Amino acid sequence: MSIMEYNGGSVIAMVGKECVAIASDLRLGNQALGISSNFQKIFPVTDRIYLGLPGLATDVTTLQELFRFRVNMYTIKEEREIQPETFAHLVSSTLYERRFGPYFIEPVIAGLSQTPSGGFKPFIAATDLIGCLNFAKDFVVAGTASSKLFGVAEGLWEPDLEPEDLFETISQTLMNAVDRDAYSGWGCVVHVITKDKIITRTLKGRMD
Amino acid sequence: MLATANNSLIAGRTTIFSPEGRLYQIEYAMEAISHAGTVLGVLAKDGVVLAAEKKVTGKLLDLTGAKEGGYGGSGEKIFLLNSNVIGGVAGLTADANSLINHARTIAQRHLLTYNEDIPVEILTERLCDMKQGYTQFGGLRPFGVSLLYAGYDPQYEFQLYHSDPSGNYSGWKATCIGANNGTAQSLLKQEYKDDIEVKDAIGLVLRVMSKTMDSTTLGSEKLEFAVLTLDPETKKPKAKIYRPSEIDALLQSEGLKKEDEEMKP
Amino acid sequence: METSFALTGKGYVIIASDTTAARSIVKMKIDEDKVKALGPHLLMAHSGEPGDTLQFAEYVERNIRLYNIRHNYSLSPSAAASWVRRSLAESLRSRHPYSVNLLLGGYDVPAKEPHLYWIDYLGTMSEVPFGAHGYGSYFALSLLDRYHNPDASLEEGIATLKRCIDEVAKRLIVSPSKYTVKVVDKDGVREIEV
Repeated sequence: MSIMEYNGGSVIAMVGKECVAIASDLRLGNQALGISSNFQKIFPVTDRIYLGLPGLATDVTTLQELFRFRVNMYTIKEEREIQPETFAHLVSSTLYERRFGPYFIEPVIAGLSQTPSGGFKPFIAATDLIGCLNFAKDFVVAGTASSKLFGVAEGLWEPDLEPEDLFETISQTLMNAVDRDAYSGWGCVVHVITKDKIITRTLKGRMD
Repeated sequence: MLATANNSLIAGRTTIFSPEGRLYQIEYAMEAISHAGTVLGVLAKDGVVLAAEKKVTGKLLDLTGAKEGGYGGSGEKIFLLNSNVIGGVAGLTADANSLINHARTIAQRHLLTYNEDIPVEILTERLCDMKQGYTQFGGLRPFGVSLLYAGYDPQYEFQLYHSDPSGNYSGWKATCIGANNGTAQSLLKQEYKDDIEVKDAIGLVLRVMSKTMDSTTLGSEKLEFAVLTLDPETKKPKAKIYRPSEIDALLQSEGLKKEDEEMKP
Repeated sequence: METSFALTGKGYVIIASDTTAARSIVKMKIDEDKVKALGPHLLMAHSGEPGDTLQFAEYVERNIRLYNIRHNYSLSPSAAASWVRRSLAESLRSRHPYSVNLLLGGYDVPAKEPHLYWIDYLGTMSEVPFGAHGYGSYFALSLLDRYHNPDASLEEGIATLKRCIDEVAKRLIVSPSKYTVKVVDKDGVREIEV
């Protein structure tokens, strides 16, 4: 029994044309027993940054609360919103602080970072449970269905997808991958982040 | 009271009583505060208003950062402590900055534990417990700062508290700290009405400030201003620390703007 | 084996727990109350490591009471649940973690809503319409999936609870004979017979 597989759950993030998308399943399980089909794993950090936390559920909540603490302090002192790259490094150092007793989470970050000219650039990143950062240009995956997510994403993803197309692509990727994984599923939620708004949709999927 | 030779030995130690039963360091701290820039607070039934007189001013001050800022408190007197509490400080600026940092951390730690915004009185209490510690343990001097806390929580709605270096605090409908606080306090006592609304409280605060401030000018170079209200749609507390341009506009609309010939380009 | 269930309904939360205190093959006590009232509108069923259970439950109860006395008002069910969860999450990585599973039910008086939280010894917490701990959960949860109605009256809720109790009695090898059943609603906490 692996601690990372105790509660189940998966997250994926993808880059599109001036937009990003992040999606996760909604299952909370106790090994094979399902407990909740409403367990949130993706949290807004700012208006333009979302954080996905798959892994041990107690650490999902703890880390979400801890990042909220640290980002609030940052915002209040700096008097500006934190940028995705900076936040990714905050995630990395927070995890490394516990190098020899880590949080059992593999965070996924998706956001839009501000360029000097005032525009927005899509940003995604993921780390392992001790904070090693991965700045992918296409997609990042994590959780019990990660190997399945890699497979489908590699097949379906292409660069410069418009928000609606990105939504379709990430939804199909997630739904099909979690259907092959016993520990992920029980509902899915997708967030598409563009510079003007964030569209959140809950998907209807197999509830088994 | 005459200071005897013995007194100076005792007064040097923060954590012990004088023969008359006083803690001199605390009294000296309050003396320091009485020379600091005034901070004024008024509680209305739909919000709380804070205003403060800046002491650190001058043409050579680099305020480029402060032009847009003010939402966290890039000023010297008024700061955002949490999304539901604004703090105003009077006294030693460095001590104040340290306390502001503590207050912000305390508020976040409460959020971490209870998943709720910290109730205003609890924040005040925690900070005061800390300040009291400096009057009893460690042999360190007390903080030379008085604070006004303007905040909202669902339990007691809008509140205004004042705390001093001794670690004591009390709730107020209207109060003042720093220089000329006596004058301001009596003015407030005369004009304050229990069911005052925020828009009238703003006027009251600005009028009292203009009467008690040392300078002949009344503008954003000398004044900091903040209001805490409830957002009508979300029903969540909304803290607004005014930007310099907004302060000038406000003073203009209240008919209180006084220009300084020296500061004009 | 220790079993507890809980479910929400229209303006109430019902929490039930078995009353057996056993060590190995012996039932040492058959009328143990494992559902603690933490406040005027807060109930908590505790199960797990003997000793840890009551110790933690009393620790929670006393701390909630202290908060009430110090600050002159009651913690909302969600704030109390967050505090409990954090205590367990901090205990998890300490020298000797508490091994206690909880079902926390409360009525939020100002908001006029019932809330139920499923919390395990790791500090995993989820707000749920119904929940269960112990071997009994393997039988009860599917029944509750089928028969639970979030707008049910108290009578209907009790009937649903009875289904769970009967199923566990029928199918679990060493099933508990008696249960403590308590309700929390706008009028407070009270014990009921089923």
